[in-house]
Amino acid sequence: MATNWQDPDHGKSAEQVCAERAKRIQDASVLKQPDRIPILMGAGYLLPEMGGITRKEYYDNPAKAQELLEKAAALFKPDTIFGAWHTPGPSVAMGDRMTKWPGYGLDPNGSFQFIEQEFMKPEDYDKFLADPSDWAVRTYLPRAFSELAGLAMLPPMGMSLYGYYNIIDNYAVLTAPPVVAAFQAIAKAAKLQTEWVGQMIASGQRMATLGFPPLTWLTFVIEAPFDFMSDTLRGMRGIFLDMLRRPDKLLAAQAKVGDFQVEWAINSAKALNIPYAFIPLHRGSDGFMSIPQFEKFYWPQLKDMMLKLIDAGVTPWVYYEGVWDERLSYLAELPKGKTIGSFQDSDIFKVKEVVGATMCIVGGMPLSLLTNGTVDQVRQHTKELCQKVGKGGGFIMGNNVMELEGCNPDLIKAWCEATKEFGAY
Amino acid sequence: MSDKLVNAIADMDEEQALALVQEMLANGTDPVTILDDCRAAMDAVGKRFEKGEYFIPELILAGEMLKTISAEVKPLMKQSVGAAKKGKIVVGTVQGDIHDIAKDIVVFMLDVNGYEVKDLGVDVPVQAFVDEVRTWKPDILALSGFLTLAYTSMKETVDAIKKAGLRDKVKIMVGGGTIDQQVCDYSGADAFGRDAMTAVALANKWMGVK
Repeated sequence: MATNWQDPDHGKSAEQVCAERAKRIQDASVLKQPDRIPILMGAGYLLPEMGGITRKEYYDNPAKAQELLEKAAALFKPDTIFGAWHTPGPSVAMGDRMTKWPGYGLDPNGSFQFIEQEFMKPEDYDKFLADPSDWAVRTYLPRAFSELAGLAMLPPMGMSLYGYYNIIDNYAVLTAPPVVAAFQAIAKAAKLQTEWVGQMIASGQRMATLGFPPLTWLTFVIEAPFDFMSDTLRGMRGIFLDMLRRPDKLLAAQAKVGDFQVEWAINSAKALNIPYAFIPLHRGSDGFMSIPQFEKFYWPQLKDMMLKLIDAGVTPWVYYEGVWDERLSYLAELPKGKTIGSFQDSDIFKVKEVVGATMCIVGGMPLSLLTNGTVDQVRQHTKELCQKVGKGGGFIMGNNVMELEGCNPDLIKAWCEATKEFGAY
Repeated sequence: MSDKLVNAIADMDEEQALALVQEMLANGTDPVTILDDCRAAMDAVGKRFEKGEYFIPELILAGEMLKTISAEVKPLMKQSVGAAKKGKIVVGTVQGDIHDIAKDIVVFMLDVNGYEVKDLGVDVPVQAFVDEVRTWKPDILALSGFLTLAYTSMKETVDAIKKAGLRDKVKIMVGGGTIDQQVCDYSGADAFGRDAMTAVALANKWMGVK
C-alpha cells in the first residue's frame, strides 16, 4: 500500500463531501465522466462480522446495525454504502415459506436464503390466466404463507362486484377464526414493514449528515416477467418444463405479470419521487436457457418492461446476476444512458467493450479476491478496472455481489483507497 | 434398438416417447432394450448439451422422461442390469447451503456418463462426507455450493478428510456458480468446475477415461 497516500476528501465538510459523492454517482450513472470513479459498497453481513454479533442480532437490533454501518462507512469511505436492505419480521409474521433467515429457520449466523418452490402447479395456469388476482388471494397466498391459510375460505374476489348482495352472501365468513387470523397476520407484517421502512429512511438521513448519500435505487424491486413466474410461482424446475410443455401459457402469464409490475413501478416511482427500479435478473444469464429460448421467453419481455419504465422517466438498475458474456449484445440494444447495469461474474472488461457506451457499469471487484487475495492483487485488479472499465466515465466501482461477508477489512480498505488513487480522472 | 424412441427422447418429444414405450411394451419388447434406448438417448442429450444446443430446460425434461419410463419399465424386468461403471463419486451440497439445482444436474450428468453416483443431498455435515469417503470408498468427492459461506464449508470438509487420513484416497472437486480458482485453492480441493460438463470432464480425466 502506498504509505504517502492521502484521502482526497480530507479536510472537507460532511455536507460538501455528501454533495460531491452524490454528484459523482449521478454523473457516472448517466455515462458522464465524474471527477473520479465512485464506489458503491454493499456491505451486507460484513457488518455483523465487524461488530462481533450474530446476523440474527444484526437484523433484530436496528440501532446496532446502524452503528456498524456508520463504523464501516468511516473506515472504508466509499461513496455510498448499504447493509441489509430487508428484514425478517414481516416474513416471520406471515409464515413465509419461501425465505429463511438467520435465527428464523437457520442458524443465528446463517445466510438469508430464498427457497424456490412450486407454489403454482401446472394445472393452475388456467385459473391464473383467467383471474390472477383471485388466484393470488385464495390459492397462492395460503400456499406460500402458513399464517394466511384462512384466505382460502374467502369467496371468489369477483363476488365483490355484487355490491350490497355480496355483504349478505359473504361478510359473515370474514369473522371465521382462520380468516381473522390471516388478516391479523397481514396487519402485523404491514406494521413491521412500515417500522423497517421508517428505520431505513432515518438511516439514510443520518448517513447523509455523515457525508454518505443514501442509495435510493434499491427502493422498488421488480423482476423480469420470466423470473417473476419462476422465483415465487413455478420454481426453476417447473418453469423450465413449462417452456417445453406449455410455452403458450407461460408467455400469456408473463404478459400479465409484466403489465402489473410496470404499472406498479411507475406509480410508486411517481408517488415517492424516486425514479429508479431495481431489477435483479436470475434465469436469463448464460448457462440456464439457450439463445433461441432467451429470445422467445426472456429478453423481449424484459426489454419491453424496461422500455416502458424508461418512457415513464424511470431508470432501471439491472443486476445481471451470474455470467452474461454470451448475451451482452442484447443489452447493447437498450437506449443509451437510460439504464444502469450491475454485473456479478461477467467478464467486466468485455462488458465495457460491448455495453460501455450503452449503460453505466457497476461492479468489478470479486468477493473471492477480497476474501482470499493479497493487498497487491487487490490493488493491481483495482488499477486495471479503473484504467480499462473506468475509461471515459460511466463506471461505478462496486463489489460484484453487493455483499462482503467473510471479506478481509484490510483488503476492502486497500480496494477503496486504490480506487481513489487510480480512479481520478 | 429403436431409433424412433431414441430420437423422440433426444428431440424432447415427450408425448411421442411415452407413446412409443407403451407400444413397445404392448408388443412384448424386452424392458432392457427400452432402457438401453434411454441410455443412448441420454448420451445424445448430453452431447447436445455439451455443444451448447441444449441447456437446463432440456436436461430437466430428459430427466423427467427417463424417470417416467423407468417407473413403467423397471417393475417388468426379471433381473437388474448393471453395466460396468467408470468410477464411484459422492456428491453433495456443503453444510449451510441448500441449493440443489446445480448439484442435481451434476449428479444427472455424471450418472448419464456412466458413473456410480451417491447423492448426499444438501446442507451435508462435514462428518457425513468424511464417513462416506471412509466407508463407501468413492474415487471422487464432488462438493457443491452456491453461497459464499460454502467456501468455508468446503475448506472444513477437505480439512476434515485430511485429518481423517483419507485425503490421498479420494480426488476432490468443488463447483458452483461462484466458485473460482481462488476458492479452489482456499478449500484445498484438487480442481473446480462451474458447470456439469466440467464435472464430467474432470471425472473422466481423473479416472483415465477417454
